[in-house]
Amino acid sequence: MMVETPQSKAISIRQLAMTFESTEGEKVKALHPIDLEISAGQFVALVGPSGCGKSTILNILAGFLTPTQGRARVGGEPIIKPSIDRGVVFQDYALFPWLNIIDNVAFGLERMGVRKKQRNEIAAEYLATVGLQEFERKKPSELSGGMKQRAAIARVFATDPSIILMDEPFGALDALTRRFLQHQLLEIWQKHKKTIIFVTHSVQEAVYLADRVLVMTARPGQIKLDNPIDLRYPRDFTSKGFRDHEKLIYDVLDEELAKTFDLESKGRLVD
Amino acid sequence: MALIRVVLPYLYAAIAIIAVWQGVVTLTSAHVAILPPPALAAQTFIELVASGEIFIHIRASLSRVIAAWGLSALVAVPLGLAMGRWRRFENIVDPVVELFRPISPLAWIPLAILWFGISETGKIFIIFVATFFPILLNTVSGVKGVDKVLIRAGQVLGCEDEWSLFRKVILPAAMPTIIVGFRIAFGTGWAAIIAAELVAAQSGLGYLIADGMEILRSDLVMVGMAVIGVLGVLIDSVFRIISNRYDWGT
Repeated sequence: MMVETPQSKAISIRQLAMTFESTEGEKVKALHPIDLEISAGQFVALVGPSGCGKSTILNILAGFLTPTQGRARVGGEPIIKPSIDRGVVFQDYALFPWLNIIDNVAFGLERMGVRKKQRNEIAAEYLATVGLQEFERKKPSELSGGMKQRAAIARVFATDPSIILMDEPFGALDALTRRFLQHQLLEIWQKHKKTIIFVTHSVQEAVYLADRVLVMTARPGQIKLDNPIDLRYPRDFTSKGFRDHEKLIYDVLDEELAKTFDLESKGRLVD
Repeated sequence: MALIRVVLPYLYAAIAIIAVWQGVVTLTSAHVAILPPPALAAQTFIELVASGEIFIHIRASLSRVIAAWGLSALVAVPLGLAMGRWRRFENIVDPVVELFRPISPLAWIPLAILWFGISETGKIFIIFVATFFPILLNTVSGVKGVDKVLIRAGQVLGCEDEWSLFRKVILPAAMPTIIVGFRIAFGTGWAAIIAAELVAAQSGLGYLIADGMEILRSDLVMVGMAVIGVLGVLIDSVFRIISNRYDWGT
């Protein structure tokens, strides 16, 4: 049984810019004014050199950061503060260590006012989707990294948000676990068709998962390449189409990486 | 069997202490009023238990500490939560706290007697001072130590106002540290109550010791000290069990 779906929503970003002030009072431009339209149900991957502002965009969309200029809207509504309608999957899982796995997954449902019996049913269902039905009563500390992230994914889908923001969710996992989770994520996404923004360092991961890859420039971040991936799922890493997309993205990235290293060697990049 | 494993080291320690004690008595052939042999202290202990007197003293000391410690928790936990969460509030309150903190609770005894006489209030006041800072400081550091990412997770999972975030995320996340504060505070409170009762009481383990000294009954003093030590260990182990429950292993 699923909670009534508010369906997925489109994201609209207009002239969005962000400037941070360092502790010494120095202004660091993290995002150049960005315009971006993402339609409902799209799976968008954000790649770029470190410090390019990928996470800044994600944090603005989540409502953790207020942009210094411009505005982001979800489903036409301006983003003002964090909301349960915009789910986040964090790199370091962010499970609540004092709650067992099923209570973690049911946390958001409880806040939504879903009754205990029903929220446990929903949580159990999503845990089964990610293959964790045996671990409902375990504490997060008893699970491996991959299992924790699966629980975190179950937790975010359980509340049925209209967009899901993922900040390098598989970055800390080993290659095999990562592959497995990519697969599971695609399955869930194809079933629920949520709008997903997925930040990653891995070009391969981006091309494998997303139906649109955005490549960002070195700081101040801008979108340099907007690359739709029209390959059919499940995708084959070794196919020519796959590698063509990878090459296109790498070419743009290489240019940007050169600039990043240049900035770093001049000591101007503060991360 | 786990119990035996926990108790056994303490039993060995007790035997060793008694052996040394007896050794010193035998070697120095000290006067019984200066250093009574363990056997005499044991006899006095049995007498005090039989008459029920010891329980009156234990209850008097314990109830003072519990009352003051509870009161402390009621004030220090909310204050600490606020200080840990709001930087500006902390900046205002912290200097006040820091100025009072180095003053030993024992230094408050004269004022406590002046203000409250030798009533219960005076003793509770002293223990309040002794237990307040450990709870406060641990609460503050517990709240500050809450992983920022857990707070963000709470915010995007429906804790949209500060109050629900406090209740559902910050407080449970800070709980293990706060419980350590409770435990330390009880220890300092337990040490301070004896001092407070030494000078201003008619009951309690501290009073038992002070009284024993006045009537030259060092066996009473020794019994009082032993009871304080054993009870201290027992209470601390209760806290340890509680804090283990809150240890979710990170």
